[in-house]
Amino acid sequence: MVLLGISVLVFVLLHAISSSPGRAVLGVQASAASVAAFNHAHGYDRPLPLQYLSYLGSLLHGDLGYSYKLNQPVTALLGENAGRSAFLSAVSLVLSVVIAVPLGILQAVKRNTVIDNSLTGLAFVLYSIPAFFLGLVLIEFFSLRLNLLPSEASQATTVLGVVADPVSMILPVVTLTAVSVAAFSRYMRSSALDNLAQDYIRVARAKGLTERQVLSRHLLRNSCLPIITLVGLSLPALLAGNLIVETVFNFPGLGLLFFNSLQKEDYPVLMAYSLIVGVLTVLGNLVADVALAFTDPRIRLH
Amino acid sequence: MKRSHGLITAVVATAAAGLLAACSGSTAPKPQVAADGAGFGTLPAQSGTPKPGGVVRVAESPGAGPNYIFPVTPAANGSVYNSYQFQNLMFRPLYGNAIGVDPKIDLAQSLAALPTYSDGNKTVTIKLNDTYTWSDGKKVDAADVVFFIDVLKAAVKENAANFGNYTPGYFPDSVASVSTPDSQTVVLKLTKAFNPEFFLQNQLSLITPMPSTVWNVASTGGAHLDFTQPKNAKAIYDYLAKQAGQVATYATNPLWQTVDGPWRLTAYNANTSGLTMKPNEKYTGPQKAQIAELQEVAFTSESAQFSQLRSGQLEVGAVPFTDLAQAPTLQQKGYAVYGYPSFGFNYVVFNFHDSTGHFDKIIAQSYVRQALAHLQDEPGLIKGVFRTAAVPSYGPVPAVPKTEFTPADASTNPYPYSIDAASKLLSSHGWKVVPGGQTTCTSPGTGANQCGAGIPAGTPLTWNIYYGNQPAVIEQQVTALISAAKQVGITIDSSSKTFNYLIQNFSVPSAPSNNDKWAMMDFGGFSVSNYPTTNQIFNTTGSYNEGGYSNAQADKLIQASVFGSDRNAVATEASFLSKDVPAIFQPNVDSVYAWSGKLSGPPGSFSALSQYRLNPEYWYFKQ
Repeated sequence: MVLLGISVLVFVLLHAISSSPGRAVLGVQASAASVAAFNHAHGYDRPLPLQYLSYLGSLLHGDLGYSYKLNQPVTALLGENAGRSAFLSAVSLVLSVVIAVPLGILQAVKRNTVIDNSLTGLAFVLYSIPAFFLGLVLIEFFSLRLNLLPSEASQATTVLGVVADPVSMILPVVTLTAVSVAAFSRYMRSSALDNLAQDYIRVARAKGLTERQVLSRHLLRNSCLPIITLVGLSLPALLAGNLIVETVFNFPGLGLLFFNSLQKEDYPVLMAYSLIVGVLTVLGNLVADVALAFTDPRIRLH
Repeated sequence: MKRSHGLITAVVATAAAGLLAACSGSTAPKPQVAADGAGFGTLPAQSGTPKPGGVVRVAESPGAGPNYIFPVTPAANGSVYNSYQFQNLMFRPLYGNAIGVDPKIDLAQSLAALPTYSDGNKTVTIKLNDTYTWSDGKKVDAADVVFFIDVLKAAVKENAANFGNYTPGYFPDSVASVSTPDSQTVVLKLTKAFNPEFFLQNQLSLITPMPSTVWNVASTGGAHLDFTQPKNAKAIYDYLAKQAGQVATYATNPLWQTVDGPWRLTAYNANTSGLTMKPNEKYTGPQKAQIAELQEVAFTSESAQFSQLRSGQLEVGAVPFTDLAQAPTLQQKGYAVYGYPSFGFNYVVFNFHDSTGHFDKIIAQSYVRQALAHLQDEPGLIKGVFRTAAVPSYGPVPAVPKTEFTPADASTNPYPYSIDAASKLLSSHGWKVVPGGQTTCTSPGTGANQCGAGIPAGTPLTWNIYYGNQPAVIEQQVTALISAAKQVGITIDSSSKTFNYLIQNFSVPSAPSNNDKWAMMDFGGFSVSNYPTTNQIFNTTGSYNEGGYSNAQADKLIQASVFGSDRNAVATEASFLSKDVPAIFQPNVDSVYAWSGKLSGPPGSFSALSQYRLNPEYWYFKQ
């Protein structure tokens, strides 16, 4: 039902924006006859409910439509871009979690010390820098001035090709990771601080466990709950691409595909993309709920 | 269509410009102006001894990579990038443009001699050169021209949107019959007489001969069909269009390997539109390729492209407008930098059908339009907004690039910037001008010194303007105009919209229900054909006469440009329009490119980049 609602909402909103898709797609110099013929051929001159039912019918048959501007089936476009986008986002997400979790715990344990304050300052700086600006700065220094790293991401068309060219992915991954680490580490610090004040930590220490055991066996697992939720909510972004990094590092992906399609009012692509993001959002929440239940037995009991 | 940049692109580009300027550690160098004052930078002379071979990497325009290989290109895919930078490299047009910035046909680049007209311009005879051959060795002949026409007719009959340059009543509808007296001659009988120059420059130039003995099939490996039969022509079109829809097979489908141009496609990336071409060894045209490989490299943004250019990973690329201050840096790295305005015009549209506040009656007065034209400070805009990388333009045919159809008075502004002149025009026609306040009509009536028909006493000069939110120069120009207007008591409220929103909602011919919602609009402008008539743009029944301008004299002149016999009628048309002010014409910005100093060739083969034309067969690496 949620997905059906999403499809209706997206369909209505997109059609409300554009009064004549034919004119948007064909351009200002298209003759009235061409615009009318285009709208007729693609059913845009039919009542909106009929257009929607037709769209839904195609969807149920696995047909996401055809991009008139890009001259390709939408499924092919999504297929070409999804793997690479997912790879970039997944690598940066894993790195973010791997870095942010211990960082957050370290800050909590060392709260209000120089280490904590320095890392907090750094996190705020990274969090407040727009990703595109950070990307441009990295390109300027590491590519153009120091000539250490390429200024564009891998141009390989497959995930394996991208994996085989790790050097070219360093700057894009660093750009994405830096911002995420800043956010995740703040959540982790806050959660760890809450848990450090809990009785079970005190009991663990009273049992004679070492500080390392207290942190790794008790604090870590309980403090990770908000991170699990965040990672689950990141699932749509994971596959839907990252527009800014794709734009700056010449790494065509789903985010850029959506943005360009929005500008060109390429309806089939927009509809498919919006639907996929909707599905991923629902799926992400589900995954997060399951993971939370697995991590914290108290949630299962409730 | 000119100028369609994305928000993200602009944000990134602007940030990049700021960042690079900040990082340069010194004041940004000033752009250079070409000696003729019409271009940006300098155009190097041809130099060096050609060294055969080498790979040239050319940047594609971000988000506009070629994606349609079949010359009968649908309107949805019609673009200069598909035609000039992709198809024409493999499939030569019947009449090709000169190498350089001049918008004119060059017979050296054409597959036929100039057409001859007879029967009161209703019969056109085209003699093909016998020098061009397809890569399979067959001569390019009359049947290949007829094949294009027959397939095109089938395409537009099926759906008017199947050909980007199609307007009902014009080509190919205008061709009543085609015959081929001999293998190298095509005779077209037209439904009515057309202006010979219009028909050559704007209609025959749409023809791209296609290999009629190879592509005349309706299925892979199927029988070769008689394409002169409409049923067969339709089946052939459907098959070829379907093949053209399979972009992943562009480089491997044998169909597209039969070419008559200097290049053949060897690789195509369906995901990015990046592509690789190699020389057509069988090419028989005027210039064989000298380099070993041409790579058209796709980019996601101007910023990403410019970074690659700066890092030396491209031989040829555009210099984004926001990065023009970096031109000297590129030159220091060994790049040549040059720009020139593309052929076309930018304008602010008046809505002659907006009755809100009697705007339709106000704008119908030619003295009001003249006053508004006086408020357009082109020299100031070129210096302040365009940082000198633009040229003035006072009508639908700009003074540069110069053509044989450029009006003699194209470089003379009929209404130069003058607040005083604008103020006097209004006050001498019954308006009480209140600088900085609100000017109102105090003398209604139709007399020579009165406001004009339908304008009641007390009517204020106040209306709205909508403008495109990209590129930023549109907003800057509109802001300058509003500011100047306020100095004569004209109040203009402005709002920005996306390009698509503007063209869908603010157009008298296609969105008449919104006529009372807008008074002025600035969406950008038009690229124009070699024979730059404003047919469809400023004639009363024009299909993209966005503001609904209507003038009997203009209609008559446009009619003469299209259907008359005076080959230079279009100059008269343009001259009249620049004086009648159907819109406020704006400066034309330079399209600036940079190319490696290791690369050389005829200067025109590089300056043509500013006109979106790619002629890499003329390029070579210097020894």
